[in-house]
Amino acid sequence: MAAKKAARKSLSLAPVLDLNEANALHGKLMALRGNPLAIDASAVERVGALCVQVLMAGAKSWEEDNQSFTFAKVSDAFTKTTQLIGVNIDHLMAKEI
Amino acid sequence: MDMNEIKEIFFQECEEQLAELESGLLRLNDGDRDPETVNAVFRAVHSIKGGAGAFGLDDLVSFAHVFETTLDCVRSNKLEPNQDVLKVMLKSADVLADLTNVARDGGSVDQARSAQLIRELEALAKGEAPPAAAPVAATPKVVAAPAAPAPVVSDDGFVPVAFSFDDFGDDDVSADLPAYDVVFKPKSELYTKGNEATLLLRDLSRLGEMSIHCNMDSLPPLDQMDPEAAYFSWKVSIKTDKGEDAVRSVFEFAEWDCDLEVTAQESGDVAEATGDDLPMQPVPFDLSALDDELDAPLGVVEEEEQIAAVQEAVAAAEAASNVVQMAASASRGAASDKGAAAAAAQNNAQQASAAAPTIRVDLDRVDRLINLVGELVINQAMLSQSVIENDSNGVSSINMGLEELQQLTREIQDSVMAIRAQPVKPVFQRMARTVREIADITGKSVRLVTEGENTEVDKTVIDKLAEPLTHMIRNAVDHGLEMPEKRIAAGKNAEGTVKLTAKHRSGRIVIELSDDGAGINREKVRQKAIDNDLIAADANLSDEEIDNLIFHAGFSTADKVSDLSGRGVGMDVVKRSIQALGGRINISSKPGHGSVFTMSLPLTLAVLDGMVVTVAGQTLVVPLTAIVETLQPDAAAIHSFGATQRLISIRNSFCPLVDVGRILNFRATQANPVEGVALLVESEGGGQRALMVDAIQGQRQVVIKSLEANYTHVPGIAAATILGDGRVALILDVDAVVSASRGQSLHTETSLAAAG
Repeated sequence: MAAKKAARKSLSLAPVLDLNEANALHGKLMALRGNPLAIDASAVERVGALCVQVLMAGAKSWEEDNQSFTFAKVSDAFTKTTQLIGVNIDHLMAKEI
Repeated sequence: MDMNEIKEIFFQECEEQLAELESGLLRLNDGDRDPETVNAVFRAVHSIKGGAGAFGLDDLVSFAHVFETTLDCVRSNKLEPNQDVLKVMLKSADVLADLTNVARDGGSVDQARSAQLIRELEALAKGEAPPAAAPVAATPKVVAAPAAPAPVVSDDGFVPVAFSFDDFGDDDVSADLPAYDVVFKPKSELYTKGNEATLLLRDLSRLGEMSIHCNMDSLPPLDQMDPEAAYFSWKVSIKTDKGEDAVRSVFEFAEWDCDLEVTAQESGDVAEATGDDLPMQPVPFDLSALDDELDAPLGVVEEEEQIAAVQEAVAAAEAASNVVQMAASASRGAASDKGAAAAAAQNNAQQASAAAPTIRVDLDRVDRLINLVGELVINQAMLSQSVIENDSNGVSSINMGLEELQQLTREIQDSVMAIRAQPVKPVFQRMARTVREIADITGKSVRLVTEGENTEVDKTVIDKLAEPLTHMIRNAVDHGLEMPEKRIAAGKNAEGTVKLTAKHRSGRIVIELSDDGAGINREKVRQKAIDNDLIAADANLSDEEIDNLIFHAGFSTADKVSDLSGRGVGMDVVKRSIQALGGRINISSKPGHGSVFTMSLPLTLAVLDGMVVTVAGQTLVVPLTAIVETLQPDAAAIHSFGATQRLISIRNSFCPLVDVGRILNFRATQANPVEGVALLVESEGGGQRALMVDAIQGQRQVVIKSLEANYTHVPGIAAATILGDGRVALILDVDAVVSASRGQSLHTETSLAAAG
């Protein structure tokens, strides 16, 4: 986990990640581009497919940048939803928690 | 909201949807090939089906389903909506309306007819559909997304409630259940309309054991993506005993906004069928934790887990009514902004619905209000009269205030009347159906053109208009229009045209019904009238008088008595119902070119403009609409005729003088015409009569009070009203009085009373 150093940023997700939030989330991620990122999804109560798309696109881009992109904490709802829609985030889960 | 209320709302929405359906089909019939029109028609049937399913109206659902399937073929351009197809569709719309009525009011439908139509519809769907879609129910519902938004989820948190969930709960999914492959690819519109793929997948997962693969291949890098566009697509394999329809119904309200393929797997083995190329992620069936978390913030109505089936249906109904409303507003919105981005269309839809917010009010409440306003008007008149009587100083400030009060009450009255005003459109649309049915029976080809459907008139007038109009339309098609061969021989279009127009004319509504048929055969009418002893064989009648003969009772020129008309009850009944509404009917006919019936009706039945007159010390009100002119008879103009009859000569023509006081038994002897006033009235049959009254008090708008409801029917009197001095004044039934003057007894006269 070399990339996870001082420059590491974290992003807390809003409780409701619906259509309205997708743009905002996209903007936030764009602003954090180039830094290792830990996402806190522990407050998430509801997440829609659009936001999952944004997050997955983020993961892809972070991978291209060779930066770490992890979910530090996730809520039950977040896990269940990603499971439900067949999006595997296991490899993005922070291992040390 | 209890169940019945919701059901009532559903039926009200159904009516709107049926109207939408019909006008859409008619537009298609006129050659409109706009995909939005097809979509509107489809949505209407679809919404009815959805709502009906929620209430377990199986007949309605199954018919709507077949109808929908065929419409879907039209929508996906597999079936060309030509005249033949539309004929079947229009009939189907009629049956759908019948089924809806039966579901609401009980009774029965013509099973044979609907079964026949189902066969025809299925044949249409199959005939042109590619062989792959042979089973009707399995016709893929994959279509282009319409510009208008489909039922929207986000606003009220309604989740498409699949009504096939009823038996949800017996979730012991065994391995040998039939399995289905579902390929679900949302379009961006799905999300912009507030729908949510995750919720659809959650509903799907409830049907049975599900494995899912999310295809992220099209997901671009972060900086190139549109956060609100759809990139994910899913391949799902699900084992369920609910059948393919249940799977489809999950996507029911999103189907316009996604590509959906549902295929049944040959063998029950899911993993092998799909697992070789795609890594499927099994979805745990236990999603209850997720449900709670998902449901709560959404405020979703459905909570199947805890609530009994009834409440589930309630939620479904609310959803259904929402669907209907949204669909309706959607089509309105889309009309103004076709092909725009879905979001824009949705905005439009919202604006359209915001522009004209409406509420549904029980008619009883409005009636009560109208009644009260009527009382208020009377009370105001009484008050001002007593002030005038007690005010010896002449003008006072009270008088000024009273005048303002009078103006206000008049305004209140007008506004309340406006509440009851409704467009004539529903009646006109019913006529379209009548035309179709009669055209079918008679083997004629007819086209109904309507104009001014949005002309507004009082609800009671509308309700009472349907019957006479149906009669007249039947006559127009059955008698008026010729058979296609004859029409072609006469150099006309084989398809006959019946035109129905409505317009406002000087405070009345004028409804015109014209056909381009043969017109009235005057020779035949005349001969028939002579045969029936209606006129003398050598009577010299004008064309107009001959035309008016058809309004006589017991008159029919049809050679054969048919199912439709020709039994001799018809135009006289029509005339009578129109007159009962305080209206007049006229006919003008041109041989070879058709006939025009013109009806002029009052806008309301609650108030009436009348002339207040005195007869033998009694105050009477004569409806102003009946009066042509008033005159002071000259002694020289009065001529005796026979023993008791008298005539008055007006501008060199003679007109029978009718002594109102004598006929109503107000006095025993004949009044002296020179001392009174003659009111020239138009009466039944178009003739004019001079009604003799003692004096005219003035013109007034009066509130009609039914005499039947409060007392009993009085021959020669249509209704009553209360005057400013608190006295009851009777409203004269002009036609009854005139026919009584012709020697017929008043007592046998059927009631022509105006409704109060």
